[in-house]
Amino acid sequence: MSDFDPGRRRFLGHLGLLGAGALGAGSLLSACASSAGGSSDKASGAITLQSNLSSPQAKTAMEKLVADFNKLGKGTTTLNTVASETFRTQLPTYLTSANPPDVYTWYAGSVANDYASKNLLLDVSDVWKGLADYPQSLRTLSTDAAGKQVFVPMNNYWWGFFYRKSNFAKWGVQEPKTWTEFLALCQTLQGKGIPPIGIGLGDTPWVASAWFDYLNIRVNGAPFHRELLAGKQRFDDPKVKAVFTKWAEALPYFDPKGKAYPFQEATTALLAGKTGMFLIGTFFADAAPKDALGDLDFFRFPIIDPAVPVAEEAPTDGFFASAKTANPAGTKALLTYLASAEAQEAYIQSSSGIVLPANPKAKAADSPLVVKGKAMLDSAKELTQFFNRDSSDALQPTADTALTKFIDKPDQIDAILREWQTSAEKVFKG
Amino acid sequence: MTRALRTGAFHTGMVLLSVLWLAPVLWVVVMSTRTFDDIAAHGVGSLPHSFTLDTYRQAWTDGGELQALVNSLLVTVPSVVLSLMLAAVAAFALSRYRIPGRRTILLLMLAGNLLPPQILLIPVAKFSELTGLYDTLYALIAVQVGFGLGFYTFVLYGFMRDLPREIQEAAMIDGAGPGQIFGRIILPLTRPALAALGALSFTWIFNDLLWAITVLRTDDKMPVTPALLGLQGQFVSSWSVIAAGTVIAAVPTVAVFLRFQKHFVSGLAIGAVK
Amino acid sequence: MAVPVSTLPRRRQPRLSPLLAAFVLVPFAIESVWVFWPALQGFWFSFTRWDGMTPPRFVGVDNYTELAGDPTFRGALLNTVIWLLLFGGLSVAGGFGMALLLQRDRRGVGFYRAALFTPVVFSLVVTALVWRVFYQPDGLADTILRGVGLEHLIRPWLADPDTALYAVILPALWRQIGYVMVLYLAGLKAIDPALHEAARVDGASAWQRLWKVTVPQLKGVNAVVLSVIVIDSLRSFDIVWSLTRGGPYHSSELLSTYMYSTAFQGLRLGYASAIAVVIFLLALAVILGYLVRAFREEENA
Repeated sequence: MSDFDPGRRRFLGHLGLLGAGALGAGSLLSACASSAGGSSDKASGAITLQSNLSSPQAKTAMEKLVADFNKLGKGTTTLNTVASETFRTQLPTYLTSANPPDVYTWYAGSVANDYASKNLLLDVSDVWKGLADYPQSLRTLSTDAAGKQVFVPMNNYWWGFFYRKSNFAKWGVQEPKTWTEFLALCQTLQGKGIPPIGIGLGDTPWVASAWFDYLNIRVNGAPFHRELLAGKQRFDDPKVKAVFTKWAEALPYFDPKGKAYPFQEATTALLAGKTGMFLIGTFFADAAPKDALGDLDFFRFPIIDPAVPVAEEAPTDGFFASAKTANPAGTKALLTYLASAEAQEAYIQSSSGIVLPANPKAKAADSPLVVKGKAMLDSAKELTQFFNRDSSDALQPTADTALTKFIDKPDQIDAILREWQTSAEKVFKG
Repeated sequence: MTRALRTGAFHTGMVLLSVLWLAPVLWVVVMSTRTFDDIAAHGVGSLPHSFTLDTYRQAWTDGGELQALVNSLLVTVPSVVLSLMLAAVAAFALSRYRIPGRRTILLLMLAGNLLPPQILLIPVAKFSELTGLYDTLYALIAVQVGFGLGFYTFVLYGFMRDLPREIQEAAMIDGAGPGQIFGRIILPLTRPALAALGALSFTWIFNDLLWAITVLRTDDKMPVTPALLGLQGQFVSSWSVIAAGTVIAAVPTVAVFLRFQKHFVSGLAIGAVK
Repeated sequence: MAVPVSTLPRRRQPRLSPLLAAFVLVPFAIESVWVFWPALQGFWFSFTRWDGMTPPRFVGVDNYTELAGDPTFRGALLNTVIWLLLFGGLSVAGGFGMALLLQRDRRGVGFYRAALFTPVVFSLVVTALVWRVFYQPDGLADTILRGVGLEHLIRPWLADPDTALYAVILPALWRQIGYVMVLYLAGLKAIDPALHEAARVDGASAWQRLWKVTVPQLKGVNAVVLSVIVIDSLRSFDIVWSLTRGGPYHSSELLSTYMYSTAFQGLRLGYASAIAVVIFLLALAVILGYLVRAFREEENA
């Protein structure tokens, strides 16, 4: 009648008990293992590097770096790579866990200093003693509010208006230097039936923040921009409104399809000649086919007010360490290695190559694009990091909401700014 | 004549519907055979301009998909077996016996599933650290079992309570204890529900993302879904490789479904009850 | 010949055997440890201000008063109700219909069932990309509309605040219907065919048989499906998040996405816990009434 005789059921029941017992025993074992193994592990110089550099090239580059470091005999590093978004949501959990990873990839700016203010980061001023030739701007960037260094930069990149040289030649236009020239260029392209300004906000609304950042630092200067993002100025301040008034002049030239697809598709559109130029960071080139790279060029965001000192966005990537690391000596050795010229050059060679090493002695890639980018950053008076890195990941969504709404409904700017101020206050208050 | 027409109409309609339903999936398969440069040059939405099977090799070796699949199976199979077993015995006790407070217990267990899991991520992470299970597959198994229990018990309760009383009464008159009634009588009758739940729970646990990234930290312990996510870059992803990885990852779950479905589909067989 | 239940001698229910107690207590204990305990902590956090790193700070009902005055929360609540009705209603109708059509073993039916279930199986990371591409400007959706001459209906589906929420329902249904179908298939299999035979002999049409025989027999399954739909609708998170993230500017925000963004982007875990408690109470309210009534009926049967 049934295929389930009591013997078999009892057997399964025993299996279940066995399973439960195994679970219990296993947890006991692993608990013992983690506490016992913990002490012995760290004594032998084991270091964990938790990385969010998940693209295949970056991952390979990091693996090479780790392998090279392990050969030096100052410690054994294990590399753990997790997806970028996973890393971001789990970072607080990693840092506050009882047995945290030792070193982490992350970004410079408030996003790192926030953790420092909660005493979660290791003081790496020792490492910085050996980095005397790093520019002062990077040193300041890596210093927390208490005056100690908590961050070790590895590379940075820049933002600009990228375009295809062949397309510009075809349309007979030149790089603009001032805002007026820029608008004239847009008008010319519009007249030819090409949406002048490409953008991709579909799944990547943060790209719009580059416009806000740049307009703010061009119109109001970098110090005001930093204060605004730190919560010391108000979003409904008339100075902020002036930014949007300027933006409204360029809005008619934006690609209307841009708000519906992500920036990777916008890159495709740019390269296919469907849009004229695109304000984006150099990372976009990773989404471009290899043969198009030689045809790319860029110009800096046009100058609006010549009296304002020129600032550029140069987001800096690097590493920090947990304050609770069980192996501070090994951790600092790893950080020193990662800050060295050889390591940074090796990284750039193995990854996609359009980044600038932080170490002034390290040689960047030789392409004309990189040379031009480096020159632009070197000549800037101030360097900002990008909206979320200068403020916090928590403030970024408020910007996304405000900016996408503005692009859709520019006439509602007053209401938008009031809303933005309210949401920002909630974020700053906690 | 009309019979043939009806069958013809049925099949035409169903084929159309199936194709429509499978279209996005087919798109993923097509995407997995394009090269990176092709997608970069023409966009994800365009027709393919290239063909390659290298993406599968990349997903398998570079993406470490073998290890990820093994991890997924190591977690999914015990979780499904354990949670269904526990849910079946609980549902049996609650539905066939007048246990005091049974309705409250059942609703409490279900209520455990009403709370959005996202809010429990951090408490569970901290708890798994406390028990020393953090960053082990055991923690993931424990979490999946714990979180499935309420719902599976509720579903099996729904099925078991509809079974007629007579057979149970007959067995009780014969002197059978609850264990035997469960094993010999109720369990075989619940097979359709168990098979359905087995297929569903296998899919859910296999495809789970949130719990895996909460209790696991080391990349070679990650099951397949977070591992696939890890193939994405910070800004730019090689979608064709990820698509290839997704196709590979779908094979176990589709296989399980195909294997289990005959258990929960009505045949022309005589009613299973009598 | 079945004997009517009421004429059986009322047996004294045997004392609760220890095995039976274990049957209930072991699963309950496991769920208590891994679910109830973190859930209680979650409830506690809703009365605090917490960023996940520093110790939480007790603030009483501040989070709830803030919720009451939060326009985004109100919008998300409304969207969630719309979602519950549309997504819930359509997936039940679709799943039930499909289960009815595909319940009997005919040639090819296994393939159709697998086809409907496949979306449930494929990882959302890539399928979300495909749907996003489907809705892109000049993507497949636009091409189809142009093809049938409905060009004036074209809009940026996922980026238009009026259409974003409804555009997401399509892929959500695509994933849900196969799953509801599986539940109904299992339920339909348990129905005694003799009942259908008896009704057919009595001259009932297929439609009458559906409503008078099939549906009543599915009471247990319906309770399950209703709970599933309510739970899934209220927890619908990943499909909305991967397609719109609740945007553009909160127009497709559901309570679940709002809670996630508050917790993991805004790092306001106390506030997010309060939203989670609201979701929980909402689900409880919808399910509880129905279930308590359903259980009471069963007692009296």
